[in-house]
Amino acid sequence: MAGLIVRRIFQLVLLLIGISFIVFMSMHIAPGDPASIIGGPTATQEDVEAIRENLGLNEPLLTQYFDYVKGIFTGDLGFSYQTKQAVSEAIIDRFPNTLNLAIASIIVAIVIGVTTGIISALKHNTWFDGLCTVIALGGISIPNFWLGAILILIFAVNLQWFPVGGLTEPFWTIEGMKQLALPAITLGTGSAAMIARMSRSAMLEVIRADYVRTARAKGVREKTVIMMHCLRNAMIPVITVIGLNFGFLLGGTIITESVFAINGVGRLMIESIAARDFPMVQGSVLLVATLFVLVNLIVDIVYAFIDPRISYE
Amino acid sequence: MGKKWFTSLLAVLFVLSLALTGCSSSSSSGGSAGDAKQELTYATTSKVVGLSPILTNDSVSSTVIEQIYETLFVRDSKGEIVPHLAESYENPDENTWVIKLKKDIKFHDGTPFNAESVKYTFDKLKDPATAAPRASLLAPVSSIEVQDEHTVVLKTEKPYGPMLAALTHSNAAIVSPTADKKQDLMKDPVGTGPFKFSEKVNGDDIVLVKNEDYWQKPAKLEKITFTVVPEVSTAISMLQTGKVQLIDGLAPELMPRLEKIKNVETQKVDGTPVYYLAFNMEKAPMNDLKFRQAVSHAINREGYLKKLNGLGVFSNSFIGPEVFGHPGDEKGPEFDQEKAKELVKANGFDKKEVKMLVANTASYMNMAEVIQAQLKEVGIPAKIETLEWGTYLDVSKTGDFDITIAGWSNVTGDGSELLFPRLHSANIDATNLSRYKDAELDKLIDQSRSVVDQEQRQEILTKADEYVMTQLPVLPIYHGIASAAYDKSVKGFKMEPTGQWSLYSVHRE
Repeated sequence: MAGLIVRRIFQLVLLLIGISFIVFMSMHIAPGDPASIIGGPTATQEDVEAIRENLGLNEPLLTQYFDYVKGIFTGDLGFSYQTKQAVSEAIIDRFPNTLNLAIASIIVAIVIGVTTGIISALKHNTWFDGLCTVIALGGISIPNFWLGAILILIFAVNLQWFPVGGLTEPFWTIEGMKQLALPAITLGTGSAAMIARMSRSAMLEVIRADYVRTARAKGVREKTVIMMHCLRNAMIPVITVIGLNFGFLLGGTIITESVFAINGVGRLMIESIAARDFPMVQGSVLLVATLFVLVNLIVDIVYAFIDPRISYE
Repeated sequence: MGKKWFTSLLAVLFVLSLALTGCSSSSSSGGSAGDAKQELTYATTSKVVGLSPILTNDSVSSTVIEQIYETLFVRDSKGEIVPHLAESYENPDENTWVIKLKKDIKFHDGTPFNAESVKYTFDKLKDPATAAPRASLLAPVSSIEVQDEHTVVLKTEKPYGPMLAALTHSNAAIVSPTADKKQDLMKDPVGTGPFKFSEKVNGDDIVLVKNEDYWQKPAKLEKITFTVVPEVSTAISMLQTGKVQLIDGLAPELMPRLEKIKNVETQKVDGTPVYYLAFNMEKAPMNDLKFRQAVSHAINREGYLKKLNGLGVFSNSFIGPEVFGHPGDEKGPEFDQEKAKELVKANGFDKKEVKMLVANTASYMNMAEVIQAQLKEVGIPAKIETLEWGTYLDVSKTGDFDITIAGWSNVTGDGSELLFPRLHSANIDATNLSRYKDAELDKLIDQSRSVVDQEQRQEILTKADEYVMTQLPVLPIYHGIASAAYDKSVKGFKMEPTGQWSLYSVHRE
């Protein structure tokens, strides 16, 4: 196990160097100049030139890249071109919002997804199963911005059960939960649908397995058969899907964060791309990549706990 | 049996949700009714870049900066320039501006406002090491001298007509020198204004509180919050439920929804911005006056206003009705499709497709589509090329287009501040997108900037505008309207033609 972790962390470092190079170069090669954007349409040529010099954009590209990488190793992600704020500070400000939202959404997704998945597998080919399939298909296909806007109109504007948007309170307070409810449902539905589909097919496979028939034959209670014998064995692919979905959610969700006015990493990234705020884009991409790798590592470790047959030694 | 029950429940839920959605726009909730707390929340679609007037040049930042800092001069409700932090001014000669300052004014940190602070601010704005985005504002000023505690003298190499207009610009607001040396004003601003910075919350939201020691009567609002809501429809829902009390810069397509909400009022004021077509004068056929005339006759500009739900004004002049220098009678080309068709046929303008470069903002893209259709009607083939804003800024400056749609917000409200950046040959490769080089117009623009007498400037600018509207390096499509929507409990809100506003005299009932 320790070997796996060390190996993965070593891979992570290589991956991050690769990603930082690709992001750095693609941002610099892409059209659009951060200095002209800061200056705006009213800036003169001299204004823009002074800003460019000030940002160090006149240095050779590779020099800029090596300076940047040197900074990373000393824990310095640089400063925003636009707001002059430290990149690490900007990310630390926003990441808790994204994390809160990701956790709330994945909880919604797991609760809805796993339950409906299992029930539809047990009630295979009944009306309930059919209904779940249709709803799951809907959940995957409904665009987030539409679902979000509809939820706001119904539950925030008309019924006023939840606030329209914003995420200012911690998630363990009542107010915080209220603020998280609608965005978490919006985001969770898509993942729930995927998890439900996966749980259903995994369960169906396991339910027909010989050892389940044997368990039933020797008179084990149905509840125990499902919970102990089926569920645990059906969980491996489901956990993979949950892990992948959680990884994506941690990367920030641009649309949901915008619709619900949540100041998260996704919004930071899209704003920074629009402003050609290179240090900010690089910093947030590195964060997202790191988290994605870490979540997948955790998923791999969880496998070994759920299924003792899996070993990494 | 169970199946039926579930299906009917589903149907009821579906109908209910549709009904709720349907009636949403007409329902009013007025979360603020009876709540006379003197607090106000304003929602903006993008974040504040920073709070130093010297280092920023975006409209959202200047919205906040306007509440914290003040300028030496301001425009009053009639558009006249009047002293604000300044007491009076005089011109002993055309190159000297002696500005007397008001006494007993203090910055939020206790530093006295005086000639030294004005000198410090302007020197810093002009210093190339500062890399101020609007350093050009005071470029004609060659020196700033302190004559005594309350008198500052600005000297120019050549007479500079729009000096006072430049001094009304929020980028020329005065900062506290002690604070600027000690801290980063981008994060921790210190001005003389009616509100002072309190804290930044939740990453991007900014909270200001009343400045009790303001040099005039203190503001009525105790606290204002600037919050970022990227989705305008979400911001409107927040306005409807009372979480937000003020939004501005309304888009035409939102007006019908806003006007139906019971607890919301909208305000529209004729504004200083102009939205126009810029012809690339270095390329054929755009460099042919007949082509530009054909395009001008082909586009039904007054008709286009109907699409804007009252958020635009028509004026057949480049300098708009709310901008200093607007000509009394407008002499631009009329909408005349037959004339356009004749010109197109006689000169073969139907043979070559023109490329129309557009930034990907909704209003510009809509305008481009209408123009493309109307050009097609008279036989001019046009294709639209859409670019993301950051890329557009670069490409439009290099002249890689035939026609482009551009805008100019004109925060100083002065005609020279439109003609010089947009049409003077000194600004080709930068703000002069038409790449227009015309000795006669250059001369008129230079005069309008160098004459100090305002009546004379009006005459020169009128002449310049008439020249522009006959030569047509640009075709103004419409002039902007500054707009805002606010909760009915907000009283005393007044929008300026430049789209700026102060919350100084606002209160809630």
